[in-house]
Amino acid sequence: MAMTRREAFKNLAKGSLPILAAGCVSTALPEVAHAEEEKQAPKGALGLLYDATKCVGCKSCMVKCSEANDLKPDTRTDGIHQAPPALNYFTKNIIKLYRTADGSDHSYFKQQCMHCIDPGCMNACMFGGLRKDEETGVVWWLGSKCVGCRYCEIACPFHIPAFQWDGFNPKIVKCELCREPIAKGLRTQPGCTEVCPTQAVIYGKREDLLKEAKSRIAANPGRYYQQKVYGEHDGGGTQVLYLSRVGFDKIGLPELSEESIPSGLKYSHAVYKWLALPIALYAGMVAFAGKNFKAHSHHLVEDQKKTGLRPQL
Amino acid sequence: MTRWERSVPVYGVPVLTRGFWALLALIVVGLVLTAIREVVGIGGVMSGMSDPFAWGLWKTFNVMVLTGLGSGGFAVGIAAWVFNNKKLHPVMRVALLTSCLAYWTGLCMLGVDVGRPWNFYWVVMPWTWNLHSPLLEIAVCMSLYASVPLFLENLPPLFEYIIYEYPQWRGIAEFCEKAMAKVFPFIVALAYILPIMHQSSLGALMILGGNRVHTLWQTPFLPLIYVWAAAFLGYNCVVLCVLLAKLAWKRDVDPVVMLELNKLTVWIVYSWTGFRFLDILVRGKILHAFTDGYYSLLFWTETALILGSAYVLSTEKGKKLSTMFLAHALCALGGMIYRFSPTTLAFHAKDGATYFPSAVELIISLSFVSIAVLGYLVAVKKLAILPGTNAEWLKMAEYEEQVKPGIQLTGYAPVEH
Repeated sequence: MAMTRREAFKNLAKGSLPILAAGCVSTALPEVAHAEEEKQAPKGALGLLYDATKCVGCKSCMVKCSEANDLKPDTRTDGIHQAPPALNYFTKNIIKLYRTADGSDHSYFKQQCMHCIDPGCMNACMFGGLRKDEETGVVWWLGSKCVGCRYCEIACPFHIPAFQWDGFNPKIVKCELCREPIAKGLRTQPGCTEVCPTQAVIYGKREDLLKEAKSRIAANPGRYYQQKVYGEHDGGGTQVLYLSRVGFDKIGLPELSEESIPSGLKYSHAVYKWLALPIALYAGMVAFAGKNFKAHSHHLVEDQKKTGLRPQL
Repeated sequence: MTRWERSVPVYGVPVLTRGFWALLALIVVGLVLTAIREVVGIGGVMSGMSDPFAWGLWKTFNVMVLTGLGSGGFAVGIAAWVFNNKKLHPVMRVALLTSCLAYWTGLCMLGVDVGRPWNFYWVVMPWTWNLHSPLLEIAVCMSLYASVPLFLENLPPLFEYIIYEYPQWRGIAEFCEKAMAKVFPFIVALAYILPIMHQSSLGALMILGGNRVHTLWQTPFLPLIYVWAAAFLGYNCVVLCVLLAKLAWKRDVDPVVMLELNKLTVWIVYSWTGFRFLDILVRGKILHAFTDGYYSLLFWTETALILGSAYVLSTEKGKKLSTMFLAHALCALGGMIYRFSPTTLAFHAKDGATYFPSAVELIISLSFVSIAVLGYLVAVKKLAILPGTNAEWLKMAEYEEQVKPGIQLTGYAPVEH
C-alpha cells in the first residue's frame, strides 16, 4: 500500500512520541532514584544493645522469651532441654556459641530481629503483613495481611523471620520486642533484657543505646572489634545494636553496605514512577498494533474471497 | 514447500490416548497430595523447603521458570503485531495457548505454595497494596494478565469451535468475535505491557536477596536480564511445540516461518548474552566467572547452552529440523537454568543450608505441569491452534464432514470486519 508523504510524517510522529516519552523518563531516572531519600529511624525508636563480651551464655533470655510470648519451648532436639538449633517458629530469641576448632577463642552471641530502620521484610511484603510501628519503629507481623508467601525470609539478610512449616494456618514468627505484653501493661521491658544477669542485653531508645555503646568503646580501647557498633549504619541502620570482641561475621552478622536492602530496588521504582513509562509504552503499542491489525484484517477478508474459508483472528 | 496459511486442528486421532490417561493419573495423585498439603502444612515430607530456603520448586520452577517458557504469547506477539512481522502470525495461536496454560497452572501452583492463601483477597483492594513490593507487582500484573488480555486472546479459537460445532449458538459467537476485533489492539497491547512488567519483576524479586545471590547473577539489571531471557524462552517453546507436532502428528512445517523464528531467537540470545557480559564487566565481577568453582561452572554451563545453541541456529546446520529441535531444546534448558539460578542454584542461603525437593513436592510440581500438557493435547485436537495450510483444512473438512454430517467448515461468504 503506497503511503503519501503526509501519512508518512504522521506515522513517524505517532511512532516517535512514545519513544520520546520513554527517553525523557529514562534520562530523568538517575535523579528520580536519588530523590528517594534515605530512611531515618523514628524519634522514639526503641531497640536493644547486646554486648557479646558481657554475655555468659546462660540462656535465661531464651526461656524468658518463650514465657513472655506464650511460645511452647522447643525441646525437639532431646525431648528435655529447650535447645533449638536456630531461630524457628518456636523461638524468637536464641543464644549461640562461636568457637574456633581448637577452642582457643570463643564468644556467645544472641540472635533476634534487628528491627531495621528500612526493613527488607517489610519492603517485600505484599499487603503490609509486616509493618513498622510509627512511634517505636518495632517491626511486627499482622496475620490478617499475610499471605504466607515467605518473601520476608528471602529479603531478610539476618535470617530472622521464621515460617511455621506445620499445620493449615501457618504464622510468621519473629521478635517484636515484646510489643504486645508491653502494650497490655504486662511488662515494662522485653523478657530478655529483664532477666539478663550481666546486663549483656539492655533495652531503651536507640539514640541512648548508641551513646552507651560508643562510651563503652571509648572507655575500653582495643576491647571491641573494629571499635565499631554494628547496626549504626549496617544495612541502612538497625534498632538493635551489637558490640563484639570477635569479628561480626563470626557471630552471625553479615557484612552489609550502608545502603539498606530495599534501596537495591530504587532503579526499579524509578521505572515505575507515576507509571509513566508503562503507560507511554502501552499507548505506543496500541498505535502500532492498531495500524498493523487493520492491514491484517484487510488481508484476511481478501483471503476469504479466494478460499471461502472463515478468516481466523 | 509448505506455506502456513491458517490454523488447523489435529484431526483423525483420538483424544483419549494412553498418554492422556497417564497424565490424568498423575494429576489426580498430585491433587490428592495437594489436598493433604493444605491440611498438614508445607514442611516435613511435603517439601524440602526450610527457613533459609524458603522458596522451593513450586515458586522457583513452576512460576519463575515455566512462565518464562510461557512467554511466547508476548515475545512472539510483540514481533508480530507491534513490529509488524507478518511471518509470525501463523504461530501466534500456539504461543498464546502455551502462555495461557503456563500462566494459569503457575498461578494455581502459587496458591498451593503460599501458606495463607485465604488472605489473597487483599489483591482487589488497591489501598492495601505495598507498592514497593516486587511480589505485589507480580501478584497484581500476573493475575490481571492471565485473567483478562491473555484469556481474551485465547478466545477466538473457542468462538470458531462454537460456530462450527454448535450452529444454534453461532449468532452469539459471531457477535463476540466482531466485538473482539473492535478492541483487539487495546487487548494485545495490554497483553504485552503486563508481561514486560511482571516478567521483569520476577527478576526484581531476588534483588532483595542481596549478596546471598551470587554476584554473577545479582545486579540492579536483574529485572531487565530476566525479562529478556523470558523472550527467547518463549520463542524456544513455540518452535519446540511446532516441531513436536511434526513428530507426533506429521504436521507440515513452513521453513520460512521457522527460519524467521530462528533468526529472532538468535538475535535475542546474542543481545541478551552481550548485555549480561557487559553488566558483569562494568560491575567489575568478571573474574568471578573463573575463580568461584561451582558458581563459575554454573555460569559457563548456562552461557554455553544458550549461546552455543544460538550459534548453531545461525549456521546452515540450524536449518535441518532435527538440529533445530535439539538447539532450541538446549537453548531452552540453558534459559531455564538461568531463570532457576538466582533463587536456587546460585543462592547461598546460609552456611550449611541446602535444598532438595522432596518426592511429594516434586510430584505436586509435575502434576501441575501435567495439567498444562494435558490441556495442550486436548486443545490442539479440538481447536484450530497448530499452523497448517488451506489444503490441509480442506482435507480436515472432508474427514469431519464424514464423521459429523452437516458440519460446515468450508464455503463461507466474505464478511467485512
